[in-house]
Amino acid sequence: MHPNEIAINDYVDEALAPAERADVDLHVASCAECRALVDDLRELRRAAGSLDVREVPVRAWTRIERAITLEAESARSTQIPQKGFVLRAPRALRSTSGLMWLAAAAVLLLATAVGLRVLPRTLRTDTPANPPGVAVSSDTAQSVEAELRQAEAHYEKAIKGLEQIANAEQGALDPQTAATLQKNLSVIDQAISESRAALRVEPSSEPAQQSLIDSFKTKMGLLQNTVALINEMRKGNEAGAARIVSGLKPKG
Amino acid sequence: MTVGAASEGMDLVTRSQAGDVQAFETIYRRHAARIYTLACRMAGSPEDGEDLLQEIFLQAYRKLGSFKGDAALGTWLYRLALNHCLDYVRSRQAKMSKLTDTLDADTSYQPIARRDTPIARLDLERALERLPDGCREAFVLHDVEGFDHKEVGKLLGIAEGTSKSQVFKARAKLRALLR
Repeated sequence: MHPNEIAINDYVDEALAPAERADVDLHVASCAECRALVDDLRELRRAAGSLDVREVPVRAWTRIERAITLEAESARSTQIPQKGFVLRAPRALRSTSGLMWLAAAAVLLLATAVGLRVLPRTLRTDTPANPPGVAVSSDTAQSVEAELRQAEAHYEKAIKGLEQIANAEQGALDPQTAATLQKNLSVIDQAISESRAALRVEPSSEPAQQSLIDSFKTKMGLLQNTVALINEMRKGNEAGAARIVSGLKPKG
Repeated sequence: MTVGAASEGMDLVTRSQAGDVQAFETIYRRHAARIYTLACRMAGSPEDGEDLLQEIFLQAYRKLGSFKGDAALGTWLYRLALNHCLDYVRSRQAKMSKLTDTLDADTSYQPIARRDTPIARLDLERALERLPDGCREAFVLHDVEGFDHKEVGKLLGIAEGTSKSQVFKARAKLRALLR
């Protein structure tokens, strides 16, 4: 009779008492099936114990630094002391060297965060759609459209600034990457145009509103990646730049 | 932990507390990879792992004042990261309102063709992501991170025997996925 799975696993983990271990030793020596199982489990344990650490995405620190900055900004604006923390602006914002455009990018990101806060509830993915037969009041519809226009204005302002930075610094990009970037931006701009056209016909269309906001978000993300790429290239971090470039390539 | 390493860590913490974001970035660069790796494996996806990494370092930034230098900074960060990952896992399990007992059908040790080659690390990482919640965390803590079943039980809030059972289920599932 084969040892049960607990005994086999304990055997592999060397957690059996000597007498039990001797029993399993005897069985494994004469049972090819259990021997294969033990070998596989040992190999699995060896592989699990020797896994490498993963490479952290380049953008991760940018997100953390941005969040710290936002938190500091928020603390300053509400005058609430943060447990003794006296935050200065992050390194990129303090720099007075040729990286001033990075400071501008950070400011734009802050502006975007403000824009996201005014995103109408009906555009949030966790908001259930109105049940069939439940009409949206005229006031509500107008309010949603006003909020959408407000959010759109914030996005456009942030995108315009990022575009200025990306265009001014595009000489730092190789021609192929610049072409890929332009191609992707064209596709996104087309989606923005189509969403706007749909909204002109039906201003309260939730899918069209969502599509417009999604397109803005996509464009923001692409431009942010472009700025990050230029930053990596200026730092001479080829590996970091290569990772970002791979994310700029067209999908499919 | 050497005295030099400890004082260096304390120096970075002190500077970070004073608002030097560059000092905090140095702490991040030294420890992010290990924490990101743990977060990815506990969460079961790189996307969730990246979100957890951000939350963990933000929390670390806020809690730097509680670091007294008794342990190495890396140990303090790892503990904070582990607790955060466990909170995330518990919260997700609560939302799903079930623990994984879904493996019963395919976790028996059926005869499987013997492997002739060592398990590639990338294959194992991918297979880990396919494990159901519950047994994945137990496997990561025991077989990858090196905790014993008693510790895993405490960390996950389950009995020692349940930890064993979850790890064994994970191994059986992985064996099947990697054949």
